[in-house]
Order: sequence, then structure tokens, then C-alpha cells
Amino acid sequence: MVVDRPLDEAELVERARRGDLEAWETLVRTYQGIAFRTAYLLAGNAADAEEAAQDGFVKAQRALGRFRRGAPLRPWLLRIVANEARNRRRSAGRREGLALRAAAQIRPGGAVPSPEAALVAREDQERLLAAVEQLPDGHRDAIACRYFLELSEEETAAALGVRRGTVKSRLARALAQLRESLEGEA
Amino acid sequence: MSSLEQRLQALGRELAFPPEPDLAVSPASRPFPWRWVALAAAVIALAAAFAVPSARTSILRFFHIEGATVERVETLPPAQERSNAGGLGRRVSVREAERFLGFRLLLPPLAAEPPAYLLDGVLATVILRVGGRPVLLSEYAARDFALLKKSVGEKTVVEPVRIAGEPGLWVEGPPHTLTYFSASGEFRQRTVKIHGNVLLWTHGPVTVRLEGRISKAQALHLARRIG
Repeated sequence: MVVDRPLDEAELVERARRGDLEAWETLVRTYQGIAFRTAYLLAGNAADAEEAAQDGFVKAQRALGRFRRGAPLRPWLLRIVANEARNRRRSAGRREGLALRAAAQIRPGGAVPSPEAALVAREDQERLLAAVEQLPDGHRDAIACRYFLELSEEETAAALGVRRGTVKSRLARALAQLRESLEGEA
Repeated sequence: MSSLEQRLQALGRELAFPPEPDLAVSPASRPFPWRWVALAAAVIALAAAFAVPSARTSILRFFHIEGATVERVETLPPAQERSNAGGLGRRVSVREAERFLGFRLLLPPLAAEPPAYLLDGVLATVILRVGGRPVLLSEYAARDFALLKKSVGEKTVVEPVRIAGEPGLWVEGPPHTLTYFSASGEFRQRTVKIHGNVLLWTHGPVTVRLEGRISKAQALHLARRIG
């Protein structure tokens, strides 16, 4: 009996390397969400993020021949897309501020807090977000990749184009700055 | 993980991100549409049959990029039948087209090499498909045409755009005309009626043109994949 099974990533990459566009599109759809959100946090606006992600995936497809067999694809893709996004932010020179989702957008499965508790929690999040936005770019980007996007340290390093040790030290300094900033307000 | 780190993670889940675009849309992801090739060629041949020499019309405004000018006129040149039923040109391989043109054709990632159509040895066209419809991708070196001129009516939208930092023009709306003159020394002119939307832009010394029934977003998306 022949049973259809989804192709694993290594098989899809191998097919994409041989020019199979459907395999490549499957990979793009798998990672376009995290790639676009990474680009958005680094580029600072949706238009540049979309361009960066598009251009990044096109460059990645052309560079598939140089991709090391057996290596995880996600950090490699994020490195390419993030590089495009950082270049765009450099040329644009500014970014839009991050915002919280509308209060009415309750997360599915989430417990419904009392209105007072929800207000306090939201103010708390807004204060924290404002403190993150005040950080120097390198620290803010490390926080955004590592915690907002929940990338691994290795992926954060790839996205920021720095070594893993640099990510660790930036995170440590950023967290210390945030604690100081939040305590100062309390 | 510290309490602050947990709060940061929770904050990330509450951030408002813009809608995620579909980046996997590829004009070449499906089998090449041979029947559309024949149909598109027939449409172009028909348009050429109604081609006219340029007519004197009042020019209201013009837009220019390297190798192409778009004029807004009061009235489009009247259609006039011509015996010369020129279309896309003769069918050649991409490599042969490149040999004539003297530059590498800019193409999106494609599963298989498409045929190219070479007109007057200076303009190459490849037929792509976007959303099931044929889209013509034409390229020429600006030096090879003294002028490529589009005439549009008042209701046609002409917008300056930028593709990868290079200047371009988006032309959308009612049918307009396209006139081109060869710079090969022998004076040659053709005017054809265009029914689709057009994106024109420059890529170094090459002028690139997309034409078809596509939206501006589709055209810009495709343009970014070309090169």
C-alpha cells in the first residue's frame, strides 16, 4: 500500500535545489510568517518588511545551491531576510513604533480577566513596550527577536548578523536597562 | 527564565503585526500555458493589424523614464489598418535573444526556460502567467530605441513608481497606444493598441515592461522577482 506523507524539510530543500517550484513554495509558505514578522520588527514598517521578505526569499532561492545540506533552513532564511530588512531600515532612517493589538481581540483559549485586571495588564504592557522602544537599536532588536518573536539565540544571532555571544551580552544589558527603567517609573 | 523575560514573551504575543503577505505566489509555478501563448500572440497580431501611424494630438502632460515616454493626450491616435501584421516577433531561445540584444534577459525564477520572441532584433518578449492570465514581459536596451512612446487618454492613470530604487511608471485604465521607433538607422515605426495595464521601469541600461490584465500590486510583486 502506498501512503502519501508530507515531505520533510530536507526532501523539500533537495527538490527545490533541483528546480521544483512547488517544493520551494511549500518552504516559503512554511516560513513566510516568521520571516515577515522578523522583517517588520527590524525594518520598522509593513511596506519595507514585505519587500525585504520578498527579496530575501528570491535571493535565498537563487542561493539554494550554496545551502549546506542537512542544516536547518529557518535560521539561514531568517539571516537573508533580516539582512534585507536591516538594509532598508538603514536607508529609511526611521521606523514606526510597535503597537499592541486592539483590546477587543481576545486570544482564543485565553481566560477572560475582569475589566479592571485587563486595564492594569494592558497599561503594564504598554509601559514595557515603551521601555523596549527606548532601548538602543541593537538592544531593542535583540529583545524583539529573542522574546517577541521567540527566536532561539542562534536564530537571533543569524537575524541580527552577529555572533551568539554578542546576542547574549546585548540581551543581558538590555534586560538590565529595562529593569532599571521600569523601577525608575514605579 | 526570569519574570521580566516571561513578560516580554507575553508582550510579543500581544503585538499588532500587519497582515502576513503571501510570498509564495509565483507566475511560473504551474505548467507553462501554451494555449495562452497562442492566444496572446493572436491578440497582439490583431492589435498590430489595427496599428496606426502616429497622429498629431494635443499633449496635455508627459512622463519620462530612460527609454520610454508616456504622453497624456486629448484624443488617442485613430486606429488604422495596416498590412504589416507584426506581433511579438520571431520565436527564438532566450540565449539567442540575449545574443541579439547584447544583455542577459531579466526573468523571474522559472521552472523551465520559456521561448522568447524577438522583434526587429532589439526587443525581446517572454510570456508569463499571473493569476491564470498571460502577461508579456518585454525588454530592450534604451540605446536601441530612439523613443518608445505611449499615448494615454484622460481616464488612464499614470503613476510614477520605484522598483528596487529604479524609476518606473504604472499605466492603468482604458486602452492606450504604444508607438516605437527603431534606432537601427532605418526609420521604422509601429503603433499598437494596448488593452491591459502596463508597468515600465529601468534596470541599469535595460528598459523593462510588463503588460497584461494585472493589478498594480501583482505587477509590482512580479517586478521585484525579476532581475
